[in-house]
Amino acid sequence: MSAVATAAGTAERRSWGPIWYGLLTGGMVVGLGCFVYQWINGLAVTGLSNTISWGMYIISFMFLVGISAGGLIVAAGAELVGSERFRSLTRLAVLLSGAAILAAAISIMPDLGRPQMVWRMLRQPHWTSPLIWDVLIITVYLSIAAIDLYILTRPNPRPGAMRTMAFIALPAAVLVHSITAWIFGLLVARPFWNTALLAPMFISSALVSGLGLLIVTAYVVDRTTEWEPERGVFQDLARLMVWFIAVDGFLLFAEILTTYASRVPDHLKQLNVLLTGRLAPVFWAEVIIGVVVPFVICASRLRERRGWVVAAGVLAMVGVFGKRINIVMTSMFMPLVGLEPGIPGGRAGQEFAPDPIYIPTWVEMGILLGLACFVGMLITLGVRYLVAPERTVRA
Amino acid sequence: MSDATKVSPIEALPEASREYGAVGEVSEEPRWGMAVDVERCIGCWSCAVICKSENDVPLGMWWNRILTKGEELDTPQTGEFGTLEMSWVPLACQHCDDPPCMKVCPTSATYVDAEHGHLVGVNQDDCIGCRYCMAACPYGVRVFNWGEPEYPVEGFDLGMVEPRPIGSVEKCTMCIHRLEEGQVPSCVWSCPAQARIFGDLNDPESRLVRTIEDRNGTQLLEEKGTKPKVYYLEERRRRSL
Repeated sequence: MSAVATAAGTAERRSWGPIWYGLLTGGMVVGLGCFVYQWINGLAVTGLSNTISWGMYIISFMFLVGISAGGLIVAAGAELVGSERFRSLTRLAVLLSGAAILAAAISIMPDLGRPQMVWRMLRQPHWTSPLIWDVLIITVYLSIAAIDLYILTRPNPRPGAMRTMAFIALPAAVLVHSITAWIFGLLVARPFWNTALLAPMFISSALVSGLGLLIVTAYVVDRTTEWEPERGVFQDLARLMVWFIAVDGFLLFAEILTTYASRVPDHLKQLNVLLTGRLAPVFWAEVIIGVVVPFVICASRLRERRGWVVAAGVLAMVGVFGKRINIVMTSMFMPLVGLEPGIPGGRAGQEFAPDPIYIPTWVEMGILLGLACFVGMLITLGVRYLVAPERTVRA
Repeated sequence: MSDATKVSPIEALPEASREYGAVGEVSEEPRWGMAVDVERCIGCWSCAVICKSENDVPLGMWWNRILTKGEELDTPQTGEFGTLEMSWVPLACQHCDDPPCMKVCPTSATYVDAEHGHLVGVNQDDCIGCRYCMAACPYGVRVFNWGEPEYPVEGFDLGMVEPRPIGSVEKCTMCIHRLEEGQVPSCVWSCPAQARIFGDLNDPESRLVRTIEDRNGTQLLEEKGTKPKVYYLEERRRRSL
């Protein structure tokens, strides 16, 4: 990069930096404020009810666990396959994993009715609960990301260290998504979740969204700092994305075909909510935006243009978020004992709600904003100090 | 929370009422269960309402409710030969022997033990409010304390059960506080149609076990393998309006 460009880049960063940090901090303050407000007033300030008892917090938890996949898997994959191009992304990839999984762990807190009691999970863990195993594996996963980052940012990293870590990181990555899936998949009460395909589907969606995040952040970091990935790496990522989306789309199709063809009443009723019912717009948007379009971009010559690859990354993430909404909501809409008048709403003046709708409130959106800004802040600081620290030296 | 001048309504009951509500003889290790006679149920919601006052259940929440078969709450459905029919499914915690809610609870706040008559209990002190049990319950009988509890009138609580903290999950306890005094749950005691039979499933001679056998009592969502301790006795004849 020429001296002129560097100077221009510095000037640009100087002017935009404070605004960016200011926005992120503002968002985090809003989120924290909403969380405190909710803690004082109870979850009554959310749009949740006894029928739809899990909502945006659980959806974003699933999504955050998912996007944490890309990093460690790409990093570990680069080690195991020995891909030089991917190796240029390793630091950034691991940073993304760490940031996303930390945010996922935190995102559980606002979902709790009594966050002050969460320590009882450690004092008296009940090992038949998938939730306990998820806490355990998320801790392990976060530690792996932290150790990886430590190794990668040493001046002279030991050559074999990352390779050894890769052998631990890959099974841990598979487990973190599987166990998160089993939180839902092991419940007999929710036919739509209660499928053996749920864990494989979680892994495949996690890979798609995680890779999407990696593509998008790599692009942004490349544009805003002097950090530069190897040439052609976006095309390599797009090639990888083709496979991830193909597997994810295949599993979704296999699941839906099985349900549709075997016509088990409970299960079919829930599927119809997706195919033709109230969630149909989200479902078909998910299929087109999240599967078809990014697949076509990544599989065709469009991937030669970096802008298209980034667009595919964004769409893939949006699609997977839609999928998370669908997975949670479909089961919540349809209680097994569906007779009138249904499950009581839970608050004074609230009716029984056999066929309810769920609209997140501003408190929920505020907390989600705070979480998103928290992830953004972690990534920004990580990029500043760990991924592209040379930047500061030259500036 | 209950002040000293308050007398337990159970203690205040006249002798005849106490006799009417007595559990009677039980085995050494009772396994409490119930049968709901759908043929006798008239869908009056008495049991649902008395449950609310017995257990100080706040507004908007029900531990026990009456579901109507068919499409609408108050509209009869058309039966086999064009006759109008109405029937109900009174629904509360099924006190499963293999409860999915207990298995998923991360802190063992939901528990089942022999000292508790094998009933499914919730210790709200340990509840972190994750609502995993609500997702896991196939019957949808658990309710959550979303905000400050509200009651229809001041001093609504009878003070027989502990108030539940905001942010915790609660549900039917089978009136464990009444069982401790040898009295049947209040939904059983209060049913004007005597549609509920309470007893000890471990006692093969009990009226409960004999009736379930005679009437081929069924369990709700039996195929889910939760082994409920609440049985439903189906109608033996069609009831037309």
